[in-house]
Amino acid sequence: MTFGFLTVCTTANVGMFGGYLLVDITGRPLEFHCTAPLRVTRAQEILYGATLQRYLHGEQIGGPLLKATKLTPVAVLTDRELLLHARSHGASPVVAIQETDSQDKEEEFMSLGTFQLRPHEKDMSKIDQLRPHFESLSSSIELAEPFDRIRAAIDEAQNH
Amino acid sequence: MSANESKRLERSVDIESSECGPMSSSVTTMQSFVLPASRTLQVPFQVTQIEVHDVPLLTQQVSVHSHYFVNGWSSQPTIPDREVGGTPRAAKARKRTRIQPPHDVVKLSERLFYLLQPDLETLLAGCSLSFPHEPFPFQLDGMAFLMPRFGGILADEMGLGKSMQAISSLRLLVHSGQARSVLVICPKGLVSNWARELSVWAPELVVGVIAGDPDRRRWQWSLQDVPVKVAHYEAVIRDRSILDEIGAEFDLVILDEAQRIKNRASQTSKAVCSISRKRSWALTGTPVENRSEDLVGIFDFVAPGQVHDGMSPRVLGAAAKGHCLRRTKDKVLTDMPPRLDTDRYIELSSEQRETYRRAEEEGVLRLSGMGQEATIQHVFELVLRLKQICNFDTATRASAKTDCLAAELEEVQASGRKAIVFSQWVQTLSRLRERLKRFGPLEYHGGMSTAARDDAIESFRNKSQHSVLLLSYGAGAVGLNLQFSQYVFLFDRWWNPAIEDQAINRAHRIGAAGAVTVTKFLTVGTIEERIDEVLARKRNLSDIILSEAEPEPAASMSAEEIFSLFGLKPPDHVCRRAA
Repeated sequence: MTFGFLTVCTTANVGMFGGYLLVDITGRPLEFHCTAPLRVTRAQEILYGATLQRYLHGEQIGGPLLKATKLTPVAVLTDRELLLHARSHGASPVVAIQETDSQDKEEEFMSLGTFQLRPHEKDMSKIDQLRPHFESLSSSIELAEPFDRIRAAIDEAQNH
Repeated sequence: MSANESKRLERSVDIESSECGPMSSSVTTMQSFVLPASRTLQVPFQVTQIEVHDVPLLTQQVSVHSHYFVNGWSSQPTIPDREVGGTPRAAKARKRTRIQPPHDVVKLSERLFYLLQPDLETLLAGCSLSFPHEPFPFQLDGMAFLMPRFGGILADEMGLGKSMQAISSLRLLVHSGQARSVLVICPKGLVSNWARELSVWAPELVVGVIAGDPDRRRWQWSLQDVPVKVAHYEAVIRDRSILDEIGAEFDLVILDEAQRIKNRASQTSKAVCSISRKRSWALTGTPVENRSEDLVGIFDFVAPGQVHDGMSPRVLGAAAKGHCLRRTKDKVLTDMPPRLDTDRYIELSSEQRETYRRAEEEGVLRLSGMGQEATIQHVFELVLRLKQICNFDTATRASAKTDCLAAELEEVQASGRKAIVFSQWVQTLSRLRERLKRFGPLEYHGGMSTAARDDAIESFRNKSQHSVLLLSYGAGAVGLNLQFSQYVFLFDRWWNPAIEDQAINRAHRIGAAGAVTVTKFLTVGTIEERIDEVLARKRNLSDIILSEAEPEPAASMSAEEIFSLFGLKPPDHVCRRAA
């Protein structure tokens, strides 16, 4: 069983990097994909306005990354809600993960330990199917931990 | 023609007509008006074209770099916080031990292979590997250091659990499929200890001890379904040809007490370095015993060519840095029970004093009389003779040290505690055993069989009537776990402070229940006091190298120092050889 972890990080003066890690049920890495840095000019910011971040995350970064994999994960977890917009580029459900206090949890989303999981609206109906998979995964690794690995790997690739 | 163009033409004609006007009223027929070109009026109707800037709208996809992993382990460093939208990341309280890629791994995909592994805690949990007790954080760091390395020296101070760290690391390698055949090489007296440690820290691994007659050993070396083999150094030297014949190859070879191969010309070093292997780990608490070159010898095994003779301590330390990890108790075990050191200065008994005086005078006279024929060996012989007299008077067996030790042991026994006593000589241990009968002494030295030594340790550990264990430095200074002993006595002094530290750390190590009291016996006004002064000067050499501190004068005992113990000047040939 394979899971995807998708994130974006930004480095000052360099740009935005996307990273996508696929792991097995024990958290071991199977595939890693990262983008070249993406820079946005002030003019582009003005022209795209409020749609810029959604476009960057969903189309420019998330899309190519989801398409780059050989394996098909049971689900893709992301710590960036904007990356939910990449959903249309892959076959797997995309789920945003957020660590929250217990009182902040919203009932319509899935809760797992200290995490709240919010699927893309297209995948809302699959939430019960996905739950046992996420429970299995969280028995091996902390659900947000792979994002740290991705950031470290991007940092390494950037400085290599 | 467009309407505009015809209009413009009309206007132009109008202008020409008005300018030429009626030339003469007499001319009535066809007239031709030829107007000089210079008189044509040109009016610019079009402005200069403006510059247009294109603003690209990010329609081209960014390039994606892909890496694929089949199998593996490892991890990473900094955790930058999120910078773009999304959800805030809560601070993580749980410690994560990341496996860093070694410095000599330069290929990006290989470095990412390590960086993208889960943290060590997750790996251990994922493998469902249990431990008798939870490893200390610094021990996890040690495992994270060893696991990714093909050549590494774990040089932790004695007592910090080098064996456990190595075993846990090899265990993870075996479980991840990165190691299928492992060889542990250790001193002969520690084979049982390693077998026991492996059964404690990696109970699921099949372990085979290389022992028995040549046919049996050949069969043991050839066994494919035994992932971990344990052999002592002498067995490796003896079976070198067998290993060559059967084409033995190991995924990992671990050397315990790796200072054994510091002399590169030795049979031990040659035999060990000739073993075919992928990974080479060395464990030693004293990577530098006397000279910087000691470390070069160990590097011949873990990373040949990385360091070489003649490097200054600081340069050597820098070159060794990526391959060597050393932690000391005071840095990583701040809550470890304290070690209380006491130098006990003892006056020789009158009989000993007289015997000592005579022996020294005669010895010095003899050395002086030898002139240029005197060698360091001659001086050593005198030193050993005098040290033995400091322990026991040769004629009367009087011993001020034994009297003092017996008094100390009364207190140890009365409090229900245990003590270990070290001496350079087996003969001294035997005499002590006679004199200390009431404390139920047990012996542990190289003259005993391995089985007898193991029995002694078990009895000392488990039976309350045995309050004291008498050990030789040679056999007992390394590898033993005697942390249930609260008292350590150095009945006489070894030549090297690192060996003394190893001996002391049999008791002062992880698991020690309380403070460990270390008492070093020194007889006043004797060779022991003079040697102690030299040892004090030697004590910091390994620290200089391993901390990359400013180099200090070399600390090994020179020919001048040895002769000067008796106020003598070394002969010229000795000086030349030393130089």
